[in-house]
Amino acid sequence: MTAQTKIEDMSAPVIAAMGEDENTIADMYLTFDLGEEEYGVSIAGVTEIVGMQRIMPIPDMPRYLRGVINLRGKVIPLMDVRLRFEMPERDYDDRTVIIVMEVEDAPVGLIVDGVREVREIPPAQIDRRGQISRSGARSTIAGIAQVGERVAVLLDPSVLVSDGDIAIARSAEAG
Amino acid sequence: MTAAAPESTSDGGLMRVPSERIGRLMDLVAELSLSVAETVRSPDLVGLDLTHFETAVHRLMMIVREVQDAATDMRLVPVDEVFKRLRRMVRELERQTGKKIEMVISGAETQIDKLVADRLYDPLLHVLRNAADHGLESSEERVQNGKPQTGSIFLSASQVGSEVRIIVADDGRGLNRAKILSKARERGLFGMEEEPEPSALWKVIFEPGFSTAENVSNLSGRGVGMDVLNTTMAALRGRIVVDSTPGQGTRVALHIPVSLAFLDCIIMRLGPRLYAVPIEVVSEIARPGPDDLPKLSADGGRELFRLRGKSVPVCRLENFFDGINDPARAPDAPPQVIVVFQTANGNLAVPVDEILDRQQVVMKPLAGRLSRIRASYGCALLGTGEVAIVLDCERLVTGGTTS
Repeated sequence: MTAQTKIEDMSAPVIAAMGEDENTIADMYLTFDLGEEEYGVSIAGVTEIVGMQRIMPIPDMPRYLRGVINLRGKVIPLMDVRLRFEMPERDYDDRTVIIVMEVEDAPVGLIVDGVREVREIPPAQIDRRGQISRSGARSTIAGIAQVGERVAVLLDPSVLVSDGDIAIARSAEAG
Repeated sequence: MTAAAPESTSDGGLMRVPSERIGRLMDLVAELSLSVAETVRSPDLVGLDLTHFETAVHRLMMIVREVQDAATDMRLVPVDEVFKRLRRMVRELERQTGKKIEMVISGAETQIDKLVADRLYDPLLHVLRNAADHGLESSEERVQNGKPQTGSIFLSASQVGSEVRIIVADDGRGLNRAKILSKARERGLFGMEEEPEPSALWKVIFEPGFSTAENVSNLSGRGVGMDVLNTTMAALRGRIVVDSTPGQGTRVALHIPVSLAFLDCIIMRLGPRLYAVPIEVVSEIARPGPDDLPKLSADGGRELFRLRGKSVPVCRLENFFDGINDPARAPDAPPQVIVVFQTANGNLAVPVDEILDRQQVVMKPLAGRLSRIRASYGCALLGTGEVAIVLDCERLVTGGTTS
């Protein structure tokens, strides 16, 4: 298996493109774009990548949770990672994709500007410092990876999904 | 399940099937009914003349419905299993309370979803303990009051519509209104001058930490375990109804849906969001006149809905839930419809933009992040492929807390 695997068919399960060698999966990351920045998540939790679908809004969610999609009978909440990181909102286009992941036994879809590649990043290339933010909460950043000339920010999906790093602002008038 | 392998005769034609396998079948049946609905409502069919197709669709829908019912039936077990375990507890209760107790069981053959049955023991034991400990008097006291020395606890089950009602009744002293009311007022559950309806008052005995027993026994009275009743009933979409007559006894009824898998719902739309409500809680759908929705300045602008001379509190979902920033309704939008829900804490009027449909939905539990949606049992997959949030009106009326 080569270190870089281009995703040709976005709808194909990423795992299928990965080969069978389990040892490499731990070091495999799916990288994606948010504006000019490159981010990555470990491929272990990724179940598939799907194109944008009709989002159905649901109540009681912060703004960055855009709603749910019905993916073959599974209801999957969608997190707009741009909004999660308080980046400027951007219209979805044909590059916009949903990375469907299984995080702590529950499905979640991450809306990102576009996926880049699946690649192996050995632990030696990852700077793991800075996992605790100044406030003492766990950071969404699991590590900073050096990928050739570029830098990819590796995210911790469980912190991302649980809001471990931010307090949920409940509006005052809510019962 | 009654269908059996031909050679099995010794066990009365029963087959043991792992519950995951039945679960898998249930999931497939659910997907089947969704795909059928999706096919039938396909936009490609719009405008076509489909006489024969319509007939075939009608038959197909009937069959799907029957397959659904058959699959649901497969998971039904008699409540007898739970009742037997409770009966064994009676001896233990007699020993611990020093009272003579006779347990009378009826309707043990009533069928209920295995998933529900598996969760009923703890809450029922709790109610039973309460009856043995607080409800029944001591033998001496009973004789003095001209009652048989042995106290009776009646445990019964019956199916009413799509609900199973399990009743634990005792022939004890009944609930003491004055004592419970004063304690409830002390705890701020009612205002000092408020005289609640009996049914509203009796329910507080199952509030966590609520107990009026003067002497705390090791059976009940410590106010622990109360949560098990309330939380289990909320999870099972059930209701608790308490009724009591001084000197004659107390009756606690648990109303529980037979099955958790499919749900007969009204689908409503408010803004871009869809909500579903189990049909049995909808008491009325009304179109309010111009003066039917007075807004009170007190209490932060609370609204009331005037319905045949009575005032029903109004709950606007867009205010109840967080994160709803829809644009204001257009002035020329059609008037809203009011759906009146009946809950254990009285009626509740909820304005929505429109009622879409009545349909059997497949309910999915709220997992992960979605579990933070308050006042919801789960989400419903509709035949159109859309997703609606199934409202738990009991939590809606209490402002989102699980009581």
